[in-house]
Amino acid sequence: MVLIEDPYTLISKWLHAKEFLVVGRGVARADALDKALGTAKFVEDYFQEGMLFVKQVLSTEPHAKILRIRDEEALKIPKVVKVFTAKDIPGENQVGYALPDQPLIAEGKVRYHGELVALVAAEDIDAALRAAELVKVDYDPLPYVLDPLEALERKDVLVHEEVGSNIAFRTKVRKGNVEEGFSKADVIVENEYRTHHQDHVYLETEGALAIPGLDGRLTVVTAAQYPHLAQSIIARVLGVPASNIKVVVPFMGGGFGGKDDEGPLTAAKAALVAHLTGRPAFILYTREESLRMHPKREATIIKYKSGASKDGKLTAIDVKIIHDTGAYANRGPFILWRATVHASGPYEVPHARVEGYCVYTNKVYQGSFRGFGNPSVQFAAEMQMNELARKLGMDPVEFRLKNMLRPGSRTITNQLLEESVGIAEAVEKLAKKVNWAKKRAEYESFKGRYRRGIGIGVAWHGISTSRGVPDWSNAYVKIDKDGSVTMFTGIVEMGQGSPNSSHRQIVAEILGAPLEKVKVVFGTSDAPDAGATHASRGTSIGAIGVLVAAARVRERLNKLAAELLGCKPEDVEIKNGVVRAKGTDKELSWDELIKQAYARGVDLSATGYFFLPKGKFNDELGQGQAYPAFSYVAMIAEVEVDTWTGKVRVLRIWPALAAGRIINPQQVEGQIEGAAVQGMGYVLMEQFVFDNRGRILNADLTDYVVPTTLDIPEIEKPVYVEDLFKYGPFGAKGVGEMALIPAPAAIAGAVSHALGKPITKLPLTPEVVYFELKKGSST
Amino acid sequence: MFYRIPEINYFRASTLEEALELISKLESVKVLAGGSDLLIDLKIRRYEVKNVVDISGVKELSYIEDRGDHVAIGAATKLRALERSDLIKELFPALHEAVESMAGVQIRNMGTIGGNLCNASPAADTAPPLLVLNAKLRLVSLEGEREVPITGFFLGPRKTLLRKGELLKEIVVPYERGAGASFIKLGRRNAFTLSVVAVATLVKVRNGIFDDVRVALNSVAPKPVRAVSVEKFLKSREISMNAIEEGAKRVLQDISPISDVRASADYRKEMSVVLTKESLLRSLERAGVKL
Repeated sequence: MVLIEDPYTLISKWLHAKEFLVVGRGVARADALDKALGTAKFVEDYFQEGMLFVKQVLSTEPHAKILRIRDEEALKIPKVVKVFTAKDIPGENQVGYALPDQPLIAEGKVRYHGELVALVAAEDIDAALRAAELVKVDYDPLPYVLDPLEALERKDVLVHEEVGSNIAFRTKVRKGNVEEGFSKADVIVENEYRTHHQDHVYLETEGALAIPGLDGRLTVVTAAQYPHLAQSIIARVLGVPASNIKVVVPFMGGGFGGKDDEGPLTAAKAALVAHLTGRPAFILYTREESLRMHPKREATIIKYKSGASKDGKLTAIDVKIIHDTGAYANRGPFILWRATVHASGPYEVPHARVEGYCVYTNKVYQGSFRGFGNPSVQFAAEMQMNELARKLGMDPVEFRLKNMLRPGSRTITNQLLEESVGIAEAVEKLAKKVNWAKKRAEYESFKGRYRRGIGIGVAWHGISTSRGVPDWSNAYVKIDKDGSVTMFTGIVEMGQGSPNSSHRQIVAEILGAPLEKVKVVFGTSDAPDAGATHASRGTSIGAIGVLVAAARVRERLNKLAAELLGCKPEDVEIKNGVVRAKGTDKELSWDELIKQAYARGVDLSATGYFFLPKGKFNDELGQGQAYPAFSYVAMIAEVEVDTWTGKVRVLRIWPALAAGRIINPQQVEGQIEGAAVQGMGYVLMEQFVFDNRGRILNADLTDYVVPTTLDIPEIEKPVYVEDLFKYGPFGAKGVGEMALIPAPAAIAGAVSHALGKPITKLPLTPEVVYFELKKGSST
Repeated sequence: MFYRIPEINYFRASTLEEALELISKLESVKVLAGGSDLLIDLKIRRYEVKNVVDISGVKELSYIEDRGDHVAIGAATKLRALERSDLIKELFPALHEAVESMAGVQIRNMGTIGGNLCNASPAADTAPPLLVLNAKLRLVSLEGEREVPITGFFLGPRKTLLRKGELLKEIVVPYERGAGASFIKLGRRNAFTLSVVAVATLVKVRNGIFDDVRVALNSVAPKPVRAVSVEKFLKSREISMNAIEEGAKRVLQDISPISDVRASADYRKEMSVVLTKESLLRSLERAGVKL
């Protein structure tokens, strides 16, 4: 017989499996005990005395030429080894992800208050800290621009002169004829929305430890979300082949996208010092450094006009999205793309015009953050839906359902959604579970000091990279002689659990090996490149390679077992370590099967490369396939508003997911709860305060406030609609970001319902809500 | 985490006498009781001091004692000990509420009541309840002891009556029989938050009139303040919702808030009125009057 090696066939075979051993169960994660006991190791835990300590010197100007960097006083401090600046970089001082606009260390000029200007290396921490204060930078201040609308107009103040304007990037989507669409509208709503920056506030700040010469390479232990990307950036900065660099990502204390951007740069800083000194070098950001310098969630201005007909159908949308990208584009163009093609929300709109502008300013730059441009635009889209429903006199859920994407729908980029669109069913189930209509009516009768409101946010989120940007998956699976299984992946463990829960389950499910025999080695550039651990892809795209690799080995085991048991390969069952010919009592143990494989020359190792097929997207026309599939989410939030103080309390959150197969419900609930709370913090309390020089005034945890356990609402069990994605592992589409995306819309919608007025601006701090209420009562 | 704290000489006192000798002898000195404020202040260079005297090990400064007509609290008593004290909860609910609202359990296990007062932050949360309780502070130095009313203790941001060589030894809180008192804090979240505004009130009621009214606030002036205009307006007045609302508005005459990263001056003004009203209502309820 011919062994099946083709990934498409293998993916499809397992997608349609009828029953499961471990997939779909809340299996405890492999790292649970180590984390509970505190024995799990993070970057910082690998620091040892004798390594060089690296400290950063940051810009104190928003925009200025660097005239001179004076390190004489710093070098007088005993134990200081050297001060490194841009001129010491042996390779390319270029780390921009989407556009080549960003140096690792500022060169020629600084573009924001907090930008890296120099690195100080010293024999001990105290010397490095003291020396960093003594590095003096002579600046020639330049005029600067902080407001993105002003930056759009200015030609005289340019953050990047070579661009010729402050527009880093533009995007567009066009469908039908917007004018015609609005002419058919009976109601039109037009608003300008504003959303703000957010910091990731991961428990573990950025850190890296670079050790030269370990196994003939420069090994960097770091907190980065994509070891292979860190490897290539380090190689570029040092001017060495990537094969000379090894990146290992141990357990990570949270990423949320922040360490997708800053992780590789952190690694490159430690690597630079190690490479130039020949000594192990260690860097760890203080919380204040982390808050000052690493990229934030996009701050946006979204102008949104939408129309609907009397019968409750959307007729057109016209949207202009402005992202304040700060000093560098970073992943801003990708973030803007995502916002642009998702601008409609998960609805059918016949006529659409969306324009996006990614605008430079002299502030900390924008970057990846759970939701990636989508929470802000879904907030705007959903607030529009609420207002349209109100004007039409329709229930907001009913109005949404009339327009919702379903199998066979076309998106605003004219992409045909053939399957895996379960959102309408999810919203219907959720509204029923919550008793939406009854609660909504009941809360409208609340008078007096405490008012209540209930709101819904529905969102979609494209799986994989946008448009035709290549995306792939891979992994390496091997079985040792004793029957133990090891899977190697570049996917990292940042708390989300994909390698330690779902990957392990996928391997155990497919091989039939006992779960305790499956070990996952994660986060290393020595594993096949599985792509980044971002975009909710750890258990979806990132795990396709795991499935394919394991399935290839399983085909060989089936063939061998069939020979040994005298049955057909398709009748071989392997469950929890027992290999059996289906419907017979002929069996052998897992360990025996593996022993036979070694004895008979069966290859028990395989990789699982899969290149995700993508359609075409025409950037000029703004039309085409935006994503291979979409994950969907809905959230209903209930709030109580104290009208005396403006304080909002989220009472309860109900989530619903149409994200394909749920491989580990326990992990999914964890992701939903974390994302919902992070979204709530964003809406109610988190914000950066900038001074008139673009400096963050609250770059510390005293005044950048995030929710505590005492602020967390009840979060109900999710409603799941398993709308399988044909290329997902067992049909999984991705979960990590999902619950954050509708959170601003759901919570702000609930506040809007309680106040009886539209909301267009975040955050909703007590002060904002109080004055909003007061404004209403005086008119 | 790696922060530079300027080099200091660290002294650890094990007795009160030793502590007093050290702080009178040393120049440029700060006292460390729990360190939850001081270490951050050293890190951000609020103070440039040469010497730190740690009194956290001075056991004789840590106690809560019922002395019949007043309760004496040792200055180095941990906030957590106050929180867990039934005596404090029963006799001084406003102080108990204030302590409960501060930071989190771990910090309350470090921070002390004396540290909170001597740090003299405008946002000190133990100040408003102690101000309305007319607490007295026993200050001690090698020269001897003196007792001062807390109402005169704060001079401005980070400034107190304490002289060189002087230490806060004890907080004396007199019984307030028949009074109703409460503390309400508006922060930016439910724990680990500096107050945007906090108000403590204490009322005594006789025959439907305000026999005594005391109101104090933090975070709305350079130091925690008593709202004497409110007190004057309400004292001897008949208790009514109208009187309370009119009285609460007068708090604006007693405060001078600023705008900062936590809130605007305007919001603080509005909230001072709102919380004064709310706290007065709560205190009245505890004194047996429900409006």
